[in-house]
Amino acid sequence: MTMTLSEAGQTVVAGTFGRAMKRAGEALGSMSGQIIEVQTPMLQRCTAQDVMVMAGGPESVVLAVYVGITGSMQGHALLLFAPADAHRLAQILLAGLLGPGELPMESTSDELAYDELELSALQEAGNVTISAFLNELGMHLHEPVQPTPPQVVLEMAGAVLDAVLLDLVSEQDQVLAAKTTFSEGGRAIDGTLFVLPRPDSLRVLLDALGAIGI
Amino acid sequence: MTVAESPNLMVAGIGEMVLSANPDDRLVAYGLGSCIALAIWDTRAKVGGLAHFMLPAGPSSGASPVKFIDTGLDPFLRAVEAKGAMLSRCTIKAAGAAAMLTVGGGLAIGKRNSEAMQAALAERGLALNASALGGNAGRTVQLEVGDGRFLIKSLSSVTQL
Repeated sequence: MTMTLSEAGQTVVAGTFGRAMKRAGEALGSMSGQIIEVQTPMLQRCTAQDVMVMAGGPESVVLAVYVGITGSMQGHALLLFAPADAHRLAQILLAGLLGPGELPMESTSDELAYDELELSALQEAGNVTISAFLNELGMHLHEPVQPTPPQVVLEMAGAVLDAVLLDLVSEQDQVLAAKTTFSEGGRAIDGTLFVLPRPDSLRVLLDALGAIGI
Repeated sequence: MTVAESPNLMVAGIGEMVLSANPDDRLVAYGLGSCIALAIWDTRAKVGGLAHFMLPAGPSSGASPVKFIDTGLDPFLRAVEAKGAMLSRCTIKAAGAAAMLTVGGGLAIGKRNSEAMQAALAERGLALNASALGGNAGRTVQLEVGDGRFLIKSLSSVTQL
Protein backbone atom coordinates (compact mmCIF):
# COMPACT_ATOMS: atom_id res chain seq x y z
CA MET A 1 0.00 0.00 0.00
CA THR A 2 1.36 3.39 -0.83
CA MET A 3 0.43 6.73 0.56
CA THR A 4 1.43 10.19 -0.44
CA LEU A 5 1.17 12.85 2.20
CA SER A 6 -0.30 16.18 1.23
CA GLU A 7 1.79 19.21 2.02
CA ALA A 8 -0.54 20.04 4.92
CA GLY A 9 -0.35 16.47 6.20
CA GLN A 10 3.41 16.58 6.02
CA THR A 11 3.41 19.81 8.04
CA VAL A 12 1.32 18.14 10.75
CA VAL A 13 3.66 15.12 10.87
CA ALA A 14 6.70 17.42 10.88
CA GLY A 15 5.35 19.33 13.89
CA THR A 16 4.68 16.17 15.86
CA PHE A 17 8.00 14.57 14.93
CA GLY A 18 9.76 17.83 15.79
CA ARG A 19 8.35 17.86 19.33
CA ALA A 20 9.21 14.18 19.75
CA MET A 21 12.78 14.77 18.56
CA LYS A 22 13.17 17.61 21.07
CA ARG A 23 12.09 15.18 23.80
CA ALA A 24 14.64 12.69 22.52
CA GLY A 25 17.40 15.31 22.75
CA GLU A 26 16.32 16.23 26.28
CA ALA A 27 16.45 12.57 27.28
CA LEU A 28 19.97 12.22 25.89
CA GLY A 29 20.99 15.41 27.71
CA SER A 30 19.48 14.22 30.95
CA MET A 31 21.18 10.84 30.70
CA SER A 32 24.59 12.29 29.93
CA GLY A 33 24.29 15.25 32.28
CA GLN A 34 25.17 17.56 29.40
CA ILE A 35 23.29 20.34 27.71
CA ILE A 36 22.28 19.02 24.34
CA GLU A 37 21.22 21.34 21.56
CA VAL A 38 18.64 19.91 19.23
CA GLN A 39 18.81 21.19 15.68
CA THR A 40 15.47 22.02 14.08
CA PRO A 41 14.33 18.67 12.74
CA MET A 42 13.85 18.22 9.03
CA LEU A 43 11.27 15.96 7.47
CA GLN A 44 11.42 15.19 3.80
CA ARG A 45 10.42 12.72 1.17
CA CYS A 46 13.53 11.36 -0.41
CA THR A 47 15.07 8.42 -2.21
CA ALA A 48 17.22 5.74 -0.60
CA GLN A 49 20.25 7.43 -2.14
CA ASP A 50 19.25 10.75 -0.53
CA VAL A 51 19.09 9.08 2.89
CA MET A 52 22.63 7.76 2.39
CA VAL A 53 23.81 11.28 1.65
CA MET A 54 21.97 12.65 4.71
CA ALA A 55 23.87 10.12 6.83
CA GLY A 56 27.24 11.36 5.54
CA GLY A 57 27.62 9.01 2.57
CA PRO A 58 27.35 5.24 2.39
CA GLU A 59 31.00 4.53 3.23
CA SER A 60 31.31 6.81 6.24
CA VAL A 61 31.78 4.72 9.37
CA VAL A 62 29.18 5.22 12.07
CA LEU A 63 28.35 3.87 15.47
CA ALA A 64 24.63 3.21 15.07
CA VAL A 65 21.99 2.27 17.57
CA TYR A 66 19.01 0.74 15.81
CA VAL A 67 15.55 0.46 17.32
CA GLY A 68 12.61 -0.94 15.40
CA ILE A 69 9.25 0.73 15.90
CA THR A 70 6.31 -1.61 16.38
CA GLY A 71 2.73 -1.27 17.53
CA SER A 72 0.21 1.16 16.08
CA MET A 73 2.95 2.98 14.19
CA GLN A 74 5.72 1.03 12.55
CA GLY A 75 9.08 1.89 11.15
CA HIS A 76 12.72 2.27 12.06
CA ALA A 77 14.79 4.61 14.20
CA LEU A 78 18.56 5.03 14.19
CA LEU A 79 20.84 7.16 16.32
CA LEU A 80 24.16 7.65 14.51
CA PHE A 81 27.47 8.98 15.81
CA ALA A 82 30.87 9.41 14.19
CA PRO A 83 33.21 6.91 15.92
CA ALA A 84 35.24 9.56 17.77
CA ASP A 85 32.06 11.28 19.01
CA ALA A 86 30.68 7.95 20.19
CA HIS A 87 33.84 7.39 22.23
CA ARG A 88 33.48 10.78 23.89
CA LEU A 89 29.82 10.17 24.69
CA ALA A 90 30.60 6.72 26.10
CA GLN A 91 33.28 8.21 28.35
CA ILE A 92 30.85 10.83 29.66
CA LEU A 93 28.15 8.24 30.31
CA LEU A 94 30.52 5.82 32.04
CA ALA A 95 32.07 8.56 34.16
CA GLY A 96 28.64 9.06 35.69
CA LEU A 97 28.23 5.37 36.44
CA LEU A 98 31.66 4.27 37.60
CA GLY A 99 34.14 5.55 40.13
CA PRO A 100 37.29 7.20 38.73
CA GLY A 101 39.42 4.10 39.34
CA GLU A 102 36.96 1.96 37.44
CA LEU A 103 36.83 4.11 34.35
CA PRO A 104 37.96 2.32 31.21
CA MET A 105 41.21 3.56 29.75
CA GLU A 106 40.84 6.84 27.90
CA SER A 107 40.13 6.14 24.26
CA THR A 108 42.86 4.32 22.45
CA SER A 109 44.27 5.58 19.19
CA ASP A 110 42.02 3.12 17.38
CA GLU A 111 38.70 4.87 17.25
CA LEU A 112 37.03 1.75 15.87
CA ALA A 113 37.82 -0.27 19.01
CA TYR A 114 35.12 -0.26 21.67
CA ASP A 115 34.97 -2.30 24.82
CA GLU A 116 31.81 -3.98 26.05
CA LEU A 117 31.10 -1.26 28.62
CA GLU A 118 31.26 1.48 26.02
CA LEU A 119 29.00 -0.39 23.62
CA SER A 120 26.55 -1.10 26.39
CA ALA A 121 26.47 2.56 27.44
CA LEU A 122 25.95 3.71 23.85
CA GLN A 123 23.24 1.15 23.29
CA GLU A 124 21.43 2.44 26.35
CA ALA A 125 21.86 6.03 25.17
CA GLY A 126 20.21 5.09 21.89
CA ASN A 127 17.47 3.24 23.69
CA VAL A 128 16.66 6.12 26.03
CA THR A 129 16.78 8.69 23.23
CA ILE A 130 14.58 6.79 20.82
CA SER A 131 12.17 5.68 23.56
CA ALA A 132 11.68 9.34 24.51
CA PHE A 133 10.82 10.07 20.89
CA LEU A 134 8.32 7.21 20.81
CA ASN A 135 6.75 8.14 24.16
CA GLU A 136 6.05 11.63 22.88
CA LEU A 137 4.62 10.24 19.66
CA GLY A 138 2.58 7.70 21.58
CA MET A 139 0.80 10.48 23.46
CA HIS A 140 -0.90 11.40 20.18
CA LEU A 141 -1.86 7.88 19.20
CA HIS A 142 -4.75 5.81 20.44
CA GLU A 143 -2.66 2.65 20.61
CA PRO A 144 0.81 2.29 22.09
CA VAL A 145 4.03 2.40 20.08
CA GLN A 146 6.72 -0.01 21.21
CA PRO A 147 10.43 -0.09 20.57
CA THR A 148 12.27 -3.33 19.84
CA PRO A 149 15.36 -4.00 21.94
CA PRO A 150 18.19 -1.75 20.75
CA GLN A 151 21.07 -3.05 18.67
CA VAL A 152 24.39 -1.28 18.45
CA VAL A 153 26.43 -1.65 15.25
CA LEU A 154 29.75 -0.18 14.15
CA GLU A 155 29.62 -0.15 10.38
CA MET A 156 29.56 1.76 7.14
CA ALA A 157 26.45 3.95 7.17
CA GLY A 158 25.24 2.51 3.88
CA ALA A 159 25.35 -1.02 5.21
CA VAL A 160 23.35 -0.13 8.32
CA LEU A 161 20.80 1.91 6.43
CA ASP A 162 20.22 -0.31 3.44
CA ALA A 163 18.46 -3.12 5.31
CA VAL A 164 16.13 -0.55 6.82
CA LEU A 165 15.55 1.22 3.53
CA LEU A 166 14.88 -2.03 1.68
CA ASP A 167 12.10 -2.73 4.14
CA LEU A 168 10.46 0.55 3.12
CA VAL A 169 11.00 0.92 -0.61
CA SER A 170 9.63 -2.32 -2.01
CA GLU A 171 6.45 -0.63 -3.22
CA GLN A 172 7.58 2.92 -3.77
CA ASP A 173 10.79 4.72 -4.55
CA GLN A 174 10.64 7.35 -1.84
CA VAL A 175 10.66 7.26 1.92
CA LEU A 176 9.70 9.86 4.49
CA ALA A 177 12.81 10.59 6.54
CA ALA A 178 12.95 12.68 9.69
CA LYS A 179 16.37 13.78 10.85
CA THR A 180 17.81 15.98 13.54
CA THR A 181 21.27 16.56 14.96
CA PHE A 182 22.09 16.67 18.67
CA SER A 183 25.12 18.69 19.66
CA GLU A 184 26.94 18.91 22.96
CA GLY A 185 29.03 21.99 22.41
CA GLY A 186 31.79 21.59 24.99
CA ARG A 187 33.03 18.23 23.84
CA ALA A 188 31.77 18.42 20.27
CA ILE A 189 29.58 15.38 20.27
CA ASP A 190 27.18 15.30 17.35
CA GLY A 191 24.58 12.61 16.99
CA THR A 192 22.03 12.21 14.23
CA LEU A 193 18.61 10.73 14.84
CA PHE A 194 16.81 9.25 11.85
CA VAL A 195 13.20 8.13 12.01
CA LEU A 196 11.81 6.31 8.98
CA PRO A 197 8.13 5.42 9.39
CA ARG A 198 6.40 2.82 7.26
CA PRO A 199 4.16 4.71 4.83
CA ASP A 200 0.93 3.01 5.87
CA SER A 201 1.68 3.90 9.48
CA LEU A 202 1.45 7.59 8.68
CA ARG A 203 -2.25 7.17 8.09
CA VAL A 204 -2.62 6.01 11.70
CA LEU A 205 -0.72 9.05 12.94
CA LEU A 206 -2.65 11.51 10.80
CA ASP A 207 -5.92 9.92 11.84
CA ALA A 208 -4.99 10.20 15.50
CA LEU A 209 -4.01 13.83 15.02
CA GLY A 210 -7.38 14.51 13.41
CA ALA A 211 -5.71 15.41 10.15
CA ILE A 212 -6.56 12.46 7.94
CA GLY A 213 -8.56 14.53 5.45
CA ILE A 214 -5.92 17.14 4.78
CA MET B 1 40.20 1.69 3.57
CA THR B 2 38.63 4.47 1.60
CA VAL B 3 38.78 3.88 -2.09
CA ALA B 4 40.98 6.62 -3.51
CA GLU B 5 39.13 9.28 -5.41
CA SER B 6 40.03 9.52 -9.06
CA PRO B 7 38.45 10.66 -12.30
CA ASN B 8 38.20 6.99 -13.28
CA LEU B 9 36.00 6.06 -10.35
CA MET B 10 32.43 5.26 -11.39
CA VAL B 11 29.99 4.76 -8.53
CA ALA B 12 26.90 2.56 -8.64
CA GLY B 13 24.57 4.10 -6.07
CA ILE B 14 21.82 2.02 -4.52
CA GLY B 15 19.60 0.72 -7.35
CA GLU B 16 22.03 1.89 -10.04
CA MET B 17 24.49 0.29 -12.47
CA VAL B 18 27.71 1.51 -14.05
CA LEU B 19 29.43 0.17 -17.18
CA SER B 20 32.77 0.76 -18.78
CA ALA B 21 35.06 -0.33 -21.58
CA ASN B 22 37.90 1.91 -20.37
CA PRO B 23 40.68 -0.18 -18.76
CA ASP B 24 41.56 2.68 -16.42
CA ASP B 25 38.10 2.77 -14.87
CA ARG B 26 37.15 1.33 -11.50
CA LEU B 27 33.51 0.57 -10.79
CA VAL B 28 32.52 0.92 -7.15
CA ALA B 29 29.51 0.27 -4.92
CA TYR B 30 29.89 1.68 -1.41
CA GLY B 31 28.53 0.41 1.87
CA LEU B 32 26.58 -2.69 0.88
CA GLY B 33 24.59 -4.24 3.70
CA SER B 34 21.66 -6.37 2.61
CA CYS B 35 21.96 -5.09 -0.95
CA ILE B 36 23.82 -7.25 -3.47
CA ALA B 37 26.37 -6.10 -6.02
CA LEU B 38 26.83 -8.09 -9.24
CA ALA B 39 30.04 -7.62 -11.23
CA ILE B 40 30.35 -8.90 -14.80
CA TRP B 41 33.64 -8.70 -16.69
CA ASP B 42 34.56 -9.93 -20.16
CA THR B 43 37.98 -11.58 -19.94
CA ARG B 44 38.82 -10.89 -23.60
CA ALA B 45 37.10 -7.59 -24.42
CA LYS B 46 37.97 -6.22 -20.98
CA VAL B 47 34.68 -4.46 -20.47
CA GLY B 48 32.68 -4.66 -17.31
CA GLY B 49 29.58 -3.69 -15.42
CA LEU B 50 28.64 -3.37 -11.76
CA ALA B 51 25.02 -3.31 -10.56
CA HIS B 52 23.84 -2.45 -7.03
CA PHE B 53 20.61 -4.44 -6.60
CA MET B 54 18.24 -3.76 -3.72
CA LEU B 55 15.48 -6.38 -3.57
CA PRO B 56 14.52 -9.77 -5.04
CA ALA B 57 11.37 -8.93 -6.98
CA GLY B 58 9.19 -6.05 -8.07
CA PRO B 59 8.13 -3.93 -11.02
CA SER B 60 10.81 -2.26 -13.12
CA SER B 61 11.59 1.22 -11.93
CA GLY B 62 12.68 3.98 -14.27
CA ALA B 63 14.66 5.85 -11.65
CA SER B 64 16.44 2.74 -10.36
CA PRO B 65 16.89 0.29 -13.26
CA VAL B 66 18.44 -2.43 -11.10
CA LYS B 67 16.33 -1.94 -8.00
CA PHE B 68 14.88 -5.46 -8.34
CA ILE B 69 16.76 -8.61 -9.32
CA ASP B 70 13.93 -10.19 -11.32
CA THR B 71 13.22 -7.16 -13.50
CA GLY B 72 16.68 -5.57 -13.38
CA LEU B 73 18.97 -8.46 -14.25
CA ASP B 74 18.10 -8.65 -17.95
CA PRO B 75 18.50 -4.90 -18.55
CA PHE B 76 21.88 -5.10 -16.79
CA LEU B 77 23.02 -8.08 -18.88
CA ARG B 78 21.90 -6.35 -22.10
CA ALA B 79 23.71 -3.15 -21.06
CA VAL B 80 26.97 -5.06 -20.48
CA GLU B 81 26.59 -6.75 -23.87
CA ALA B 82 25.94 -3.38 -25.48
CA LYS B 83 29.35 -2.29 -24.18
CA GLY B 84 30.90 -5.11 -26.18
CA ALA B 85 30.88 -8.03 -23.75
CA MET B 86 29.92 -11.61 -24.63
CA LEU B 87 28.36 -13.31 -21.65
CA SER B 88 30.01 -16.64 -22.51
CA ARG B 89 33.44 -15.03 -21.93
CA CYS B 90 32.47 -13.22 -18.74
CA THR B 91 33.30 -13.85 -15.11
CA ILE B 92 30.37 -13.16 -12.81
CA LYS B 93 30.96 -12.28 -9.17
CA ALA B 94 28.71 -11.07 -6.38
CA ALA B 95 29.06 -9.61 -2.91
CA GLY B 96 26.75 -8.27 -0.21
CA ALA B 97 23.48 -9.77 1.04
CA ALA B 98 24.54 -9.50 4.67
CA ALA B 99 22.26 -9.48 7.69
CA MET B 100 23.16 -6.24 9.43
CA LEU B 101 20.39 -6.12 12.01
CA THR B 102 19.20 -9.00 14.11
CA VAL B 103 16.40 -7.29 15.99
CA GLY B 104 12.92 -6.91 14.63
CA GLY B 105 13.05 -10.28 12.90
CA GLY B 106 11.67 -9.03 9.64
CA LEU B 107 14.82 -7.75 7.98
CA ALA B 108 16.26 -10.97 6.54
CA ILE B 109 16.36 -9.40 3.11
CA GLY B 110 20.02 -10.24 2.51
CA LYS B 111 19.38 -13.97 2.48
CA ARG B 112 16.46 -13.57 0.09
CA ASN B 113 18.59 -11.39 -2.17
CA SER B 114 21.33 -14.00 -2.26
CA GLU B 115 18.91 -16.79 -3.16
CA ALA B 116 17.09 -14.67 -5.74
CA MET B 117 20.33 -13.69 -7.47
CA GLN B 118 21.59 -17.25 -7.77
CA ALA B 119 18.20 -18.47 -9.01
CA ALA B 120 17.89 -15.64 -11.55
CA LEU B 121 21.35 -16.35 -12.94
CA ALA B 122 20.63 -20.10 -13.15
CA GLU B 123 17.42 -19.41 -15.10
CA ARG B 124 19.56 -17.69 -17.71
CA GLY B 125 22.16 -20.45 -17.82
CA LEU B 126 24.65 -18.38 -15.82
CA ALA B 127 26.38 -18.97 -12.49
CA LEU B 128 28.61 -17.09 -10.08
CA ASN B 129 32.34 -17.70 -10.50
CA ALA B 130 33.04 -16.29 -7.06
CA SER B 131 31.09 -14.61 -4.31
CA ALA B 132 31.21 -13.09 -0.85
CA LEU B 133 27.61 -13.24 0.30
CA GLY B 134 25.94 -13.28 3.69
CA GLY B 135 27.54 -12.73 7.07
CA ASN B 136 26.94 -9.61 9.10
CA ALA B 137 29.56 -7.17 7.84
CA GLY B 138 29.09 -4.26 5.45
CA ARG B 139 31.11 -4.28 2.25
CA THR B 140 32.40 -1.85 -0.34
CA VAL B 141 33.21 -3.50 -3.67
CA GLN B 142 35.34 -2.43 -6.61
CA LEU B 143 35.67 -3.92 -10.09
CA GLU B 144 38.86 -2.98 -11.95
CA VAL B 145 37.91 -2.80 -15.61
CA GLY B 146 41.48 -3.26 -16.85
CA ASP B 147 42.14 -6.64 -15.26
CA GLY B 148 38.82 -7.81 -13.79
CA ARG B 149 40.02 -7.78 -10.17
CA PHE B 150 37.07 -7.65 -7.79
CA LEU B 151 38.03 -6.15 -4.41
CA ILE B 152 35.86 -6.43 -1.33
CA LYS B 153 36.51 -4.16 1.61
CA SER B 154 34.97 -4.38 5.04
CA LEU B 155 35.94 -2.45 8.17
CA SER B 156 38.32 -5.23 9.14
CA SER B 157 39.67 -6.63 5.88
CA VAL B 158 40.28 -6.31 2.16
CA THR B 159 39.92 -9.41 0.02
CA GLN B 160 40.11 -10.06 -3.69
CA LEU B 161 37.92 -12.43 -5.67
